[in-house]
Amino acid sequence: MKSHFFSLLFYVLAMSVLCVLIAWGKPFQVVGMFVVSGMAVGSLYALGGIGLVVLYRATGVLNFASGAIGAFAVMLAWQLGQWGVPAVMTWLAAMPAAIALSLTYGRLIAPGLAWREPVVKAIATLGFALIILGMTAFIWDDDVRKFSLPSDKQAVMVMGLRVTVTRLIVILAAIILVIGIWLYLGKTRMGLQMRALANDRNLSALIGVRILKAETIAWAIAGVIAGFTGLMFGDLIRLEPVVITFLVIPSIAAAICGRLDNLVQVLLGGLTMGVIESLLTLQPTLKDIRPIAPFVIAALALLWMQRGKQLLFARDN
Amino acid sequence: MNISRSGIIGLGLAILLFAILPAVSGGQWSKIFTSTACFTLATAGITFMYSRLGLVSLGQVALMGIGGWVMLRMNHAFEFPFEINLAVAAAVTTVFGWILALPALRMRGLYLALITLMAAGGVEIILSTYRFPNGGDGFWGVTSSVSAPFRRPELAQSDTAYLRYVIAITTLGFLLIEAHRRLAPGRAWAMIRRSEAAAYSSGINVLYYKAWAFGLSGLLAGVAGGLLAGTLGLLDPSTFRASESIMLFALAVVGGARFWLGAVIAGVLYRVLPALFNDWGLNADLTLVIFGAALLHAITTAPDGLAGQIINLFRREVKSS
Amino acid sequence: MMVLENLTVKFGGVIALDNVSASFHSPVSGIIGPNGAGKTTTMNAISGFIRCTGRILYDDKDISGLSPQHRTRWGLRRSFQHEQIAEDLSVLDNLRVLQDHIPSSRKEQRFELAQALAITGLEQRAHKLAQTLNTYERRLIDMARCLMGKPKVIMLDEPGGGLTRTEAEHIGDLILKIPELTGATVLVIDHDVDLIRRICSETLVLDFGKRIALGETDKVLDDPKVKAAYLGIEELS
Repeated sequence: MKSHFFSLLFYVLAMSVLCVLIAWGKPFQVVGMFVVSGMAVGSLYALGGIGLVVLYRATGVLNFASGAIGAFAVMLAWQLGQWGVPAVMTWLAAMPAAIALSLTYGRLIAPGLAWREPVVKAIATLGFALIILGMTAFIWDDDVRKFSLPSDKQAVMVMGLRVTVTRLIVILAAIILVIGIWLYLGKTRMGLQMRALANDRNLSALIGVRILKAETIAWAIAGVIAGFTGLMFGDLIRLEPVVITFLVIPSIAAAICGRLDNLVQVLLGGLTMGVIESLLTLQPTLKDIRPIAPFVIAALALLWMQRGKQLLFARDN
Repeated sequence: MNISRSGIIGLGLAILLFAILPAVSGGQWSKIFTSTACFTLATAGITFMYSRLGLVSLGQVALMGIGGWVMLRMNHAFEFPFEINLAVAAAVTTVFGWILALPALRMRGLYLALITLMAAGGVEIILSTYRFPNGGDGFWGVTSSVSAPFRRPELAQSDTAYLRYVIAITTLGFLLIEAHRRLAPGRAWAMIRRSEAAAYSSGINVLYYKAWAFGLSGLLAGVAGGLLAGTLGLLDPSTFRASESIMLFALAVVGGARFWLGAVIAGVLYRVLPALFNDWGLNADLTLVIFGAALLHAITTAPDGLAGQIINLFRREVKSS
Repeated sequence: MMVLENLTVKFGGVIALDNVSASFHSPVSGIIGPNGAGKTTTMNAISGFIRCTGRILYDDKDISGLSPQHRTRWGLRRSFQHEQIAEDLSVLDNLRVLQDHIPSSRKEQRFELAQALAITGLEQRAHKLAQTLNTYERRLIDMARCLMGKPKVIMLDEPGGGLTRTEAEHIGDLILKIPELTGATVLVIDHDVDLIRRICSETLVLDFGKRIALGETDKVLDDPKVKAAYLGIEELS
């Protein structure tokens, strides 16, 4: 526990130093603007990452399809909006779609693969992602679309900076989600069962954990998060199925920062990725290449995580 | 040295394609087939790593991008012939393959796949930001208009000749992998796949052989990327997005990672099928659905992929007749 | 002569091997003990797979500083609790793997291969894919691999695991031939006491990571401390 805490502290310190270095000498107002904007984007990465990690912890599946599910959900919400359905209703209609897709995979396909290696399970979700993406792109032709939420137009002043309510929602959602899931997994009975499931599926069955129920709930939660993340991606980044589907990649980057396990670290990882990417706008030489920040950070995090590990009996566990 | 039945069929197919394919394909299709051969070569780099070593590489197309970039830069910066440029492109990409190997050497399974994915994401950003050289000045060599032309090999100036050239090199690539398989590297890789403990107990330097595999994979990707650059004389960053690397890996699994035929099927599915759909007036997005379903099918019920199923079909027919 | 000096292995807070010292003089020695005693851990430490303190010496040469693959190249051989053969390779290739990393002439290599195949009776199946072989044949491949490349120390972890009585007996006969054939010192872990009694002249007994007896096999097996460890009885004295 102790070394884990120090690791976290080291990470936060290192990132803070980096941020200070990048933003050195620039006026506070400007820096603040970029930090806030970065936190919003970073929360998006973190949200995606949190959804991935929650599901991975419960089922051992890294869900490449979470982006595609989100893409379908937001396209559906957009479509309903086009047909005149009032804004909040479109959200509420899109979420069940996301949950349905998630559960379809989770109940029909995932159980058959439960005994396979994690990498194989992840690749299978890729297949599902392609199917959903193909259908989504097929139904909604290539076109420039915009998805907006009523909260886009409202803004709040934070430390003298103007933040749209949507961005605020994303940042708050990420934080609340982390706390909520931490409480759920730690304090509720079902949460305990999910943690047992993640630890050892077969053993859990033997001691009476209701695997199907726990897994269903895990996939449903993953669906909700994926749907919500998709809506936010569609609003804040771009409403394009292909783009949103593959935003799963920076989400994976955030998930990696959390070692596919610790949600607080995923949140911090995502936020720092967003902030650093945003702050790099202030550096003329690195400005153009700033979207690479999440990948560099994730790669460094992976290297740090795997240092000194020796894998020997990989198949003979 | 004995050639297996599969080897004879493979060489036979290569010779057949070499002879006939360029003759029957005109204009656009000749370029599509050339592109297909390039991606088949790159896929071979994916499949041997997956089937022999159990390593998942989600960054092969990104490595192709690096190869293609070097190829174009060499072409526009100096006056060397095609083959020299290709060799340099291959060498540089091999080094990148090794760089990729460094973090990956101690990882396995999912983490390895993820780091190759992060690398692919990184390369995507670099290529889309700095684009491909087209004769301009400076390190990145980009101008606003396509200025300098691309020099194809002396032997293969026309599209049909170039297609033949690419088929020949692709075949050599497969033979290179086969040579590895039959010699010490192939044996070492098989032991590493069984378990690293067993490998060490057989005197194998696991890190060295893993790095070798990444290097070979990088080499093949570099050559493939360089050859791809020669297809049109220019390259587009969107060809080398991280999503494309993922797609190619998915198709490698669909095709069947254990067989050379699998890599060929993957290349064909990746390039030819969408083109066919376009020709037939079908929405290319449907190919995604087909690929996704095929991938799920391959993972759940047909681990040897389409190639495995085709081979089984032949075996059964041979047995019954 | 194989010597372990103050070997200690810790996994976090758990002490898997507690200051174990032992010298093995016999050609074939056994390592026995109840489950979790630290037998496989000892072999893993000798193989170099896990970090340990203490020294490992063979004829006064300290191999503790060598990496796992260098210990193999030096002359350490090992079989594991589960057979470790590459299924995609033929029997021959499974053996050649070792030769790839130990320098010797082509002639020597061919001779070694032929000899190893002959002794284990695998000549007929030399070119078959290892995947097609049963458990017994796979264990024979593991054994054959241990015989090649001028071994100095051969460690066998439960060589009779998963075999029938006759098969286990045959493996036992094979093990007895090894020292004469290769000059190597053999260490055998097994739960089959009859096998140990038959093939090992001396035996080390471990319990909870500690050495509780080392000496002539018959004497060790009759030792009340050893019997107490196996039966879980507290020793009263």
